[in-house]
Amino acid sequence: MKTTLSELDSSHWSRRGFLKTGFTAGGMVLAAPTILKAQGTGNKLNVALIGVGSQGRVLLDSLLNIEGLHFQAVCDIWELSRRYGVNRLKKAGFDPNGYEDIEDLLANEKDLDAVIIATPDFWHAPHTNMCLKAGLHVYCEKMMAHTIEAASSMVVAQRASGKLLQIGHQRRSNPRYQHALNNIINKAQIPGRITNINGQWNRAVSEDLGSPPRYAIPPATLKRYGFKDMHQFRNWRWFRDLSGGPISDLGAHQIDIFNWFLGTGPKSVMASGGSDYYDTREWYDNVMAIFEYDTAQGPVRASYQVLTTTSAGGGYFEQFMGDEGSVKISENPKLTKVYREDRAPDWDKWIDLKYLLQSEAAYPAENTTVDVRETAPLVAFDLPVVLNKPLHQPHLENFFGAVKGENKLNCDGEHAFASEAAIFKVNTAVAARATIDMKPSDFIA
Amino acid sequence: MKTRFLSLILACSVSSVLVAEDTVITLEFPPPKVTSTPAPINLPHLELPNKKPPVIKVPTGVTNVAAGKTVTSSDEWPIIGELDMITDGDKESEDGYYVELGEMQQWVQVDLETKTEIYGIGLWHYHAQPRAYLDVIIQVSDDPEFKSGNTTVFNNDHDDSSKMGRGSDPAYVEKNHGRLIPGKKATGRYVRFYSDGNTSDGLNQYIEVEVFGRSVE
Repeated sequence: MKTTLSELDSSHWSRRGFLKTGFTAGGMVLAAPTILKAQGTGNKLNVALIGVGSQGRVLLDSLLNIEGLHFQAVCDIWELSRRYGVNRLKKAGFDPNGYEDIEDLLANEKDLDAVIIATPDFWHAPHTNMCLKAGLHVYCEKMMAHTIEAASSMVVAQRASGKLLQIGHQRRSNPRYQHALNNIINKAQIPGRITNINGQWNRAVSEDLGSPPRYAIPPATLKRYGFKDMHQFRNWRWFRDLSGGPISDLGAHQIDIFNWFLGTGPKSVMASGGSDYYDTREWYDNVMAIFEYDTAQGPVRASYQVLTTTSAGGGYFEQFMGDEGSVKISENPKLTKVYREDRAPDWDKWIDLKYLLQSEAAYPAENTTVDVRETAPLVAFDLPVVLNKPLHQPHLENFFGAVKGENKLNCDGEHAFASEAAIFKVNTAVAARATIDMKPSDFIA
Repeated sequence: MKTRFLSLILACSVSSVLVAEDTVITLEFPPPKVTSTPAPINLPHLELPNKKPPVIKVPTGVTNVAAGKTVTSSDEWPIIGELDMITDGDKESEDGYYVELGEMQQWVQVDLETKTEIYGIGLWHYHAQPRAYLDVIIQVSDDPEFKSGNTTVFNNDHDDSSKMGRGSDPAYVEKNHGRLIPGKKATGRYVRFYSDGNTSDGLNQYIEVEVFGRSVE
């Protein structure tokens, strides 16, 4: 696939893109990754992947793009996923050992440097803590845990271990998000005074996940690892003892951006939600939350909704709204725009500095007439930063860079906990049908 | 998962069921499932969403002749799944229902066991996440090696990056509905499905293929 700088072409993302342009003969190409990566471990970091479900596979696809890693082991209680991890890595030229139980893995794999944890949320804290205790650096998927107490224990374990703990809020390493915060909001102050935020992740109706009988996990194994049955194993995100539900699973990504961009947590949370649509799901399938912040610029009120019965509104984004402009940002570049209020000062300087690009549809048509009772359409701009890697790769690169002493973590356990503390309160606010006030100590583990 | 939203008009997803004259192929499909964060899709030849499938009329005797037939592939060691899943009639997209082949261009091939006149093809790649597969090419041939006598019935390799000829068909986002592709009455014993990764990863996942045709031997 041909690409241009102006496109975010997915063929850039993988070794496929490189290999496809780097070699021509199909047979030669298939062998190439094996040859490249099977050459000794040398100074490479020895890595194990804990959890090879859907998210583990997403991470694995990014991990395989990162040089300097040696994949030594994978772990998953589901033989199907375990086999996936082993086979995927063998195809890439590694020879990993597969384990059902993480304790067996830690007992046998003595020279590991780091683990990537992508297990169900209720296992994050136990797995993270035992790996830190074993002297390993840990990258753990968000949400940190299914309870705030478990999340706190991870920070405590990290402090005691002296090892690194990165939490998988991958937007913090996305160059477009970093540009929006560092240059557009902080330096150029494009939005002016931010007064409000709006965010959402809306997803169309989706049935419960299933699995073919021939790949069923034995009941005793399921029970040993905390699952009632295969249905609960496949749909753990919806069960209260195993996860925090959609506000945790999806909302955490974006509410973390609220907190990161504002540089503070909210002073209060109020929310409404319910288990209204799906009969088999324990957690709220729709939640609407309002966060109140006190910032140096003044109060900020933020609304967030996660809906799992409609994809209305364009899916997922965060929009920071100020008195001079607004910054709408998403992992989907098509949903990212900067809008200028008429009262804003000239932005030509920032366009000249390439902070902003004039959008193709920047100005309304000349013959557009606006009813005097309406506000005229806003002028739109684009951000010139393109992520030409899989979405999670920069965050993983940041983690391994920190392991090698090259950089600091973009989302260590302390900062992740400070951000997630308010997210944990949303479900509490829904249940209590009350406003939950937060104090500074709530953000410290 | 046995739930089905819609059956073929006069049900033709199973090889044993015949289709009456001048009926229309309508694919049956499973409920939608959504997992994982979707990766952005930016392809210049991506078709508009909600494009209706083609209307393909078929005469008496046309069935899904691929059902239960032997499948081979370019990848001797699929990452996960068994090749027989591709013609087993199950179109779910979850773990345990699909075959995942390695990176770069890969193919799966169905042996219809007899020279067949092909009216339509149903194709399901992985569809639990919005994604588009790259350089999808479907050919029909009597040559099991596809070295000669090939008829191309679908090709969305718009820039000829596969070096198999530029295609004018659009890229499309995978959905539970699958993709109904006109068979153009091509004849041959073998049908080969190429792909070269997708917009979410560099891999090639196949869930199900259906070939609606009738023997001409």
